[in-house]
Amino acid sequence: MATNNDNNNIVSYICKRTVVSTKPIEPGKYMTFSVLDRCMEKNHIRMVYYYQSSSTSLGEGEFGKMTKNLKETLSEMLNYYPMVTGRLVRDSEEKWKVKCNDAGVRVVEAKAKGSVEEWLKNVDSEKEHMLVYWEDMYHKPYYWSTFYVQITEFEEGGLAIGLSCFHLLADYTSATNFLKAWSDISLGNKITVLPLFHPLPSTRKRISNHHPYFELINHYKSSIERPIPIKEEKYTIISLGFSHQMVNACISKAQFNGPSGPITMTPFEALAGLFWASISNIKGLQNGLIDMSICLDARKVLGLDYGFFGNTMIYNKVHSNGNLEGNIFVQATRYIGEVVAKMDNEGIMDLIEWLEKNEMNSPKMINGPDLICVSLENVDPYLSVFQDWLKPLRVSCYIEPVLGEGQVLILPGTPEEGPLSRVVMVTLKEDEAIKLFEDDLISQFSPTIFMKC
Amino acid sequence: MPPMLPDFSNSVKLKYVKLGYQYLVNHIITLTLVPIMLGVSIEILRLGPQEILNLWNSLHFNLVQILCSAFLIIFVATVYFMSKPRTIYLVDYACFKPPVTCRVPFATFMGHSRLILKNNPKSVEFQMRILERSGLGEETCLPPAIHYIPPKPTMEAARGEAELVIFSAMDSLFKKTGLKPKDIDILIVNCSLFSPTPSLSAMVINKYKLRSNIKSFNLSGMGCSAGLISIDLARDLLQVHPNSNAVVVSTEIITPNYYQGNERAMLLPNCLFRMGGAAILLSNRRSERRRAKYRLVHVVRTHKGADDKAYRCVFEEEDKEGKVGISLSKDLMAIAGEALKLNITTMGPLVLPASEQLLFLLTLIGRKIFNPKWKPYIPDFKQAFEHFCIHAGGRAVIDELQKNLQLSTEHVEASRMTLHRFGNTSSSSLWYELNYIESKGRMKKGDRVWQIAFGSGFKCNSAVWKCNKTIKTPIDGPWTDCIDRYPVHIPEIVKL
Repeated sequence: MATNNDNNNIVSYICKRTVVSTKPIEPGKYMTFSVLDRCMEKNHIRMVYYYQSSSTSLGEGEFGKMTKNLKETLSEMLNYYPMVTGRLVRDSEEKWKVKCNDAGVRVVEAKAKGSVEEWLKNVDSEKEHMLVYWEDMYHKPYYWSTFYVQITEFEEGGLAIGLSCFHLLADYTSATNFLKAWSDISLGNKITVLPLFHPLPSTRKRISNHHPYFELINHYKSSIERPIPIKEEKYTIISLGFSHQMVNACISKAQFNGPSGPITMTPFEALAGLFWASISNIKGLQNGLIDMSICLDARKVLGLDYGFFGNTMIYNKVHSNGNLEGNIFVQATRYIGEVVAKMDNEGIMDLIEWLEKNEMNSPKMINGPDLICVSLENVDPYLSVFQDWLKPLRVSCYIEPVLGEGQVLILPGTPEEGPLSRVVMVTLKEDEAIKLFEDDLISQFSPTIFMKC
Repeated sequence: MPPMLPDFSNSVKLKYVKLGYQYLVNHIITLTLVPIMLGVSIEILRLGPQEILNLWNSLHFNLVQILCSAFLIIFVATVYFMSKPRTIYLVDYACFKPPVTCRVPFATFMGHSRLILKNNPKSVEFQMRILERSGLGEETCLPPAIHYIPPKPTMEAARGEAELVIFSAMDSLFKKTGLKPKDIDILIVNCSLFSPTPSLSAMVINKYKLRSNIKSFNLSGMGCSAGLISIDLARDLLQVHPNSNAVVVSTEIITPNYYQGNERAMLLPNCLFRMGGAAILLSNRRSERRRAKYRLVHVVRTHKGADDKAYRCVFEEEDKEGKVGISLSKDLMAIAGEALKLNITTMGPLVLPASEQLLFLLTLIGRKIFNPKWKPYIPDFKQAFEHFCIHAGGRAVIDELQKNLQLSTEHVEASRMTLHRFGNTSSSSLWYELNYIESKGRMKKGDRVWQIAFGSGFKCNSAVWKCNKTIKTPIDGPWTDCIDRYPVHIPEIVKL
């Protein structure tokens, strides 16, 4: 582990500024948040993208020109995101809304020693946090930027783009599409996934004569009644890569025989089950599973385009029945699969309806004390290619703060590794994370260690 | 309503009386000459051709007398043509269009202000109130160094801004006029607040590899009216040097002068001054007669520096914390009004038609001799000029001048819209305003333009141009992409 002293010298901040769109916005526009947005008020996302330059040797001042291009294309791209350049105000009911006042996003420029490849060999989460700038909300949120972009130059070659944003405005899919839009414009193309700003599907026309899916609603209800834990634990984040074959092997191991033939799991279900079982084991439960919630992106289920800008992450608890016999991993995966199947359109619309009816009493932070497994596989971040730079070498993501047993984020792997390859970022307490590396269940799939403790 | 009607009919009658009077006085020479010519021609016709020939033969001429008279006529003609001042042509000019990435919307400006002056919310409030009433729009631009939190006003950044603004304007000018750098004989650069060594004019000479015998001048510290001072200087130089081209570059470099303290009187320039610059090509070559846009008619400069209050009203000094800023006194508007009065008193006789001058003279005599309580007659300058370019120093300045000179909304439209789109770009704002009028297609041959600029000192300078050829739209310039959106209605207070 690098000590703080070492870290202080590696990344040096050059300057901070605000970047605005190129066209002025008509004054007086406001944008409101949906009920799903409001559940994420206490969280923020951080993402880091690593790039290597497309030209073999960079001349003097070349980097300055490339940063200039990045900032100019960011300005152009912001024309499509009036919500991002606005500022938060409270409406008459003390709820947040965005005043689209053209204020802009903060951009920080920094320099790092070494080259990007060297960095990636030795990186840990503390170091990676230096590449993505974030400021907690000011006392006066009217001047607080909700999005932050950091552009870090590696002195011996390479670039890191850090994007952090307030979860109230955007989830992982939206943030990834935001960066993709920026990269499209930097290449001189049109934006492939245009952002759409509209409310969630309406619940008014529904004929609810069916039994509502109470489990999902109950999970959200219980999180209101639970106080938000203010733990002072020290978490560490590790990153493991699973190749295409290994994920395949994991899926086939998790396969079981259902009533109508063998049931195959999705990569998320298999990997989430794997880590659930492994982490439960590490925490001391020999024959059982700890409390766990999964989180899925409901855009497809709700019939929304991937360009829908906002939050559609739905959290649901996965129940395990006390002491388990036999292969815990397979059973864990089964439970997850069952819950995922139940999170269909009807179920989620029931939840939205319930949340809208109970707006006064809605949960502020939905990712509470359980272990949380989040599926972030729906968008491919490796498509974000900027002019003068090659495809991303690596993409990391953090959903903060983590206040419970831990968090498992399942991201897509680099395209070279194959469509089933995955990168798993695990947030656990330090001692538990060390044990994770030695756990047989995980090491049988020989993951590549991208980020150590 | 009964009381209104008599006034209305009175004013209509008065209007016709005024028109008749103006026509009479302005064309008095023609009107007196016409009857004389008529009389003479009638006399001639009456006499008949034979009588005229007899008259002619009776005049005895000898060779010496004829030669002497001929020489006299030629001599007088030569003296007249030699002593006539050379005509100064404005061939063309180019204004700097700031890059869109330098745009500063109100919210960004206020956000930065709040972050930089976090210990002084009152100063931030003050800036917000100024910005709301300033008349600026959301597209004005500040140089890149000012966009940082905190701003980075280094000398390198200031030079960078100077290079960006001046070189863009010069390149644009070269393209428009086809001028070759080696053909520039006189170069005048004016930039009030940034004066490095070597000078900005040396910077231009270095970049474009101008001739070694070029006459270059760099005017600094002369405020927002320095643009017209440079034009005046160029005019004087072009009288002395025949067949020459003069390039005048007017700009203001914002980077080193962003005030970072809390003194309210000094925060005002931060809210109003924005990036801008212009390059103008003047010539006294007869070959430019055809393609020149304007002809310089008059330049009038008035300086109120002898008055202490006027001298101190725009003053650069250190505040209590030692930070340097430009302090604007509360008497600014009053002093500006007085300077303007002085200027137009000098300008009036040069440009006003005889009718207005006569009226002014009569009222002046009347006030002195008969009754001092008579209202002083304010001459109607709208008769002398078709277009007005009032330096976009701030909304108050334009309002004040509109009131004093009794100008209509359309007359001050160019100034107001320039303030909205580009902010106060100091000495170059007059050129943005002129470009606005041209872009709107309002500039016709023979139109007279009056440019008025105020500056620290306190100075009021004005220049009169006459349009040489009708300018066809669309023209290439800073207004190209947005002229269709203008004029816009600028509310009294923009709610931030």
